Amino acid sequence: MASSRPLLRTARQLTTSQFRHISTTPSPPSPPPDLNTPPPPPKKKLKPLTPQQSSLLSSFLRVNQAGELAATLIYTAQTPPILAREPHLRPLMKHMYDQEADHLRVFNSLIATHRVRPTALYPLWSVLATGLGWSTAVMGKEAAMACTEAVETEIGGHYNAQIRKLLEMVTEWEREGYDVGEEFTELIKTLRRIRDEELEHLDHAVEHDAQKAEPHWLLTGVIRAGCRGAIWVSERV
Amino acid sequence: RTYHSTTHPPPPGPFTQAETTLLTTALTTHVPNHGFTLESLHLAARSLSLLDISPSFLGPAPLARLIHFHLYTARTSSLPSLASQHADLLQGLPIPEKVELLTWLRLKQNEPIIQHWQQALAVMAQPSHVPTAVKELAMLADEVYYLAGDKSVDPSWYTKRGALSGIYVAAELFMTTDKSEGFQETRRFLRRRLQEAEEVGGVVKSVGEWVGFTASAGVNVLRSKGVRI
Repeated sequence: MASSRPLLRTARQLTTSQFRHISTTPSPPSPPPDLNTPPPPPKKKLKPLTPQQSSLLSSFLRVNQAGELAATLIYTAQTPPILAREPHLRPLMKHMYDQEADHLRVFNSLIATHRVRPTALYPLWSVLATGLGWSTAVMGKEAAMACTEAVETEIGGHYNAQIRKLLEMVTEWEREGYDVGEEFTELIKTLRRIRDEELEHLDHAVEHDAQKAEPHWLLTGVIRAGCRGAIWVSERV
Repeated sequence: RTYHSTTHPPPPGPFTQAETTLLTTALTTHVPNHGFTLESLHLAARSLSLLDISPSFLGPAPLARLIHFHLYTARTSSLPSLASQHADLLQGLPIPEKVELLTWLRLKQNEPIIQHWQQALAVMAQPSHVPTAVKELAMLADEVYYLAGDKSVDPSWYTKRGALSGIYVAAELFMTTDKSEGFQETRRFLRRRLQEAEEVGGVVKSVGEWVGFTASAGVNVLRSKGVRI
């Protein structure tokens, strides 16, 4: 049973093992458990965050918010020029924009809840993202899709690194015998979902002739380098 | 501001248990009478049945540590507990008025030691202590906005807190020379400064909106004329 390996129990296993314990083990003189009220949730032993972990988490949320802000502005700027030439792309652009707007809402609320400082270069990223979206859209549908492909490739790798780091933190806690609260399991789940949606955008971009942009290597190279630079700066400033 | 966990216990503060005991006694019992001096620290040590030499464990700048302790406890324990005490008052107010009330509550924390506060500010103005003082001020502004329920996460996050820091410093200095009943003059001063800041903020926001709307309107007009942008 789970109690033989206490250090590796997660919160979910803790609750279910407790339920199993109540229903199968006979308890002689104690009164029968009241099946109408749920048992009190086990008190979680959560480890206080170290300063390095706090600043790491804050830089993650800051950079993610900056990234989603840039993504929504890129799509907003790309949409009118693209739709002027290819009106059939309206549903696709709308779908991608809606998902990015949802991501931005998620990170805005996470930043507010966890009292993280937003990036100081917010106005600069706004201008640059709008400029990038508009210029790639004016160059043509393929260029716009190549821009999306480049940005989403960088973002996918970036989210993966964050998820990996969070999983390391969580396994470290479990190894030390602490519990992992919902706060972090939810955070990891949210980041995974968002990463999956970003990679879906990457697939859409490639489907819609991102590879046919001329010159593909220059566009994607410049945009990916720009993304990496922006990510590096936003983590700090 | 770094990540603040909603479920995990908070990390330990910058003061150890021993320091906290000594400094609390010094702050509450002796500083109002003897000021931010080594005398207060020695009297506190004596009253706790410690050796007189004990304050030396506070480090090379014990007075700065004492003042930092006052700033720290006023921000982290007194202000949140006052906010929850006044929760019914704070309930129906719009955010700017909550900010005013919370700043006023924090200013009142200086009341018992106001006659010595100019001296304390002089100590904290020394170059080696300025970073601590500035950081405490920034965290205080953030705490006030957090307790007021502000959820903005755009550049106004910076402008609001910057403005509040400046206003708080001005109000604190004003309070050191204020002799009115219950520091009403300080409260009025605070209210006037906050209103000015709000007006300026409103003007800047309106100008920004106008520029944004005009620019996008211009672009749309050109598009409607057939210019491919």
